[in-house]
Amino acid sequence: MAYEDLREFLATLDKNAQLLRFSDPLSPEPHLGAAARAVSNLTDRGPALLFDNLDGYERGRVVLNVVGSWPNHALMLGLDKDTPVKEQFFEFARRWDAFPVEVGRREDAPWREHTVEGDDIDLFHLLPLFRLNRYDAGTYIDKAPVISRDPDDWDNFDAQNVGIYRIQVKGKARLGIQPLPTHDIGLHLRKAEERGENLPVAIAVGNEPVITTVAGMPLMYDQSEYEMAGAIQGSPYRIAKAPLTGMDVPWGAEAVLEGEIVAYSREVEGPFGEFTGYYSGGRRQPVITIHRVSYRTDPIFEHLYLGRPWTEMDYTLALNTSVPLYQQLKKDFPEVVAVNAMYTQGLLGIISVRPRYGGFAKAVGVRAMTTPHGLGYCKVIIVVDETVDPFNLAQVMWSLSVKFHPAHDLVVLPDLSILPLDPSSEPAGITHKVVLDATTPIAPEQRGHFSQEVDAPAETEAWENRIKQLLK
Amino acid sequence: MSTPTIPDTCPRCDTHEVSLLTESPVPGRWSMYLCGVCFYSWRSTEPGYATDPATYPAAFKIDPVDIPKMPVVPSIPARRA
Repeated sequence: MAYEDLREFLATLDKNAQLLRFSDPLSPEPHLGAAARAVSNLTDRGPALLFDNLDGYERGRVVLNVVGSWPNHALMLGLDKDTPVKEQFFEFARRWDAFPVEVGRREDAPWREHTVEGDDIDLFHLLPLFRLNRYDAGTYIDKAPVISRDPDDWDNFDAQNVGIYRIQVKGKARLGIQPLPTHDIGLHLRKAEERGENLPVAIAVGNEPVITTVAGMPLMYDQSEYEMAGAIQGSPYRIAKAPLTGMDVPWGAEAVLEGEIVAYSREVEGPFGEFTGYYSGGRRQPVITIHRVSYRTDPIFEHLYLGRPWTEMDYTLALNTSVPLYQQLKKDFPEVVAVNAMYTQGLLGIISVRPRYGGFAKAVGVRAMTTPHGLGYCKVIIVVDETVDPFNLAQVMWSLSVKFHPAHDLVVLPDLSILPLDPSSEPAGITHKVVLDATTPIAPEQRGHFSQEVDAPAETEAWENRIKQLLK
Repeated sequence: MSTPTIPDTCPRCDTHEVSLLTESPVPGRWSMYLCGVCFYSWRSTEPGYATDPATYPAAFKIDPVDIPKMPVVPSIPARRA
């Protein structure tokens, strides 16, 4: 199932009773941030929120929480909205294997309808920008794919990067961006600055949900996000050429901002309320100047609330963090059954495994920490048996409570790398990591009293199905 | 429409380099301001916690003296020969 653009996906959400509209007059602060926080507080089956009567705007529209629940995530994948998370995980993993899917190019993008350039640009008039959390440094764009190319390999489509970075709006056409050195755009900027050049970028605001999901995936440098989006949606991803920079951008975007990261510019950015539930400190970071904006009539500003989990960010990153970790672990250990790394972007992960012998589960847990993603995350890894669903926390807690023995099942590894945003890291970027082995001990590690597990009465599965039908 | 009065002081760093960032597309509804020192911005209609230098919490204040000491991310590489 491929959605043409954000508007088509919103129509699908509406049809499935997963979209709420708010047309009463509201001031952007504090209401927009508060509404998005509230919907995540209330439920994991919540709707997207569309606002169309914002103080100071004639026709401004903001949509929040677009993929902020499991039903919305399932609808993104074209699945029934009640599809369980574990099934969504395996479907996501299955589609991942179809990578790469060649893109579809079309130059009749709806965002070509209007153009504004130079001094006529005012991003605050184009989009209803607003402060999300109380002490953010200002208004941000935090869900827009940023597209850049490798300055040393300009025509290499696969090295073109599509990633999402927090962007502080510092002027009518002036932005601050956070391209960390570990990000692909960080590598592009480094090369541009080594060459003494600015780095051209295009920023695509307001998209169908697959590209924003893929843009947050930890892909390899030369893996195209567009070709992965094609795999995940099951058909070629549609792109168009941005007129000023020549970047390939999503065909269906609401608005495309084009400009350049100014070489050697570093100025105060942040703090910003982050996905860890804490504000990031202020840093000196690069600046973008926007030269040209293309946009559809009455563009919708798609934005994402983040703060203490769970928020929309946790849903959008849940499976695109879990699936790569699963694929990478499975290469070395086919005994890995499933990976749930959806807690704070995988700072905590749960792995279910078929242990081959005593000590095996611990080895799998440690291996997770040396995957590319694990180098910056995977501070706490819980390993459970294959019979335990890692997406079912009640089952995971049961395993920990009865199978885990603190004297035997705790592995602490000192002073490993972690993303500096982890507020417990000391110094920032360094932490101990821990594996909690909650699998049943097997030979040669024979201990405990696990031989008489209570199994389900005969016919339980048939009764599950019967009751499920009656509840529909 | 009258020109909005630009606040004298940045709520966050207490300096006086405040400029008009933009005004509401529907005239007269709100103005936004920008600090030229710490790049804090705010809307005139926001609650006091975001706009008032006197009540802006100490934990989030920025002393302009500390700005040059903030980490540079990412670091600036040397130019190729």
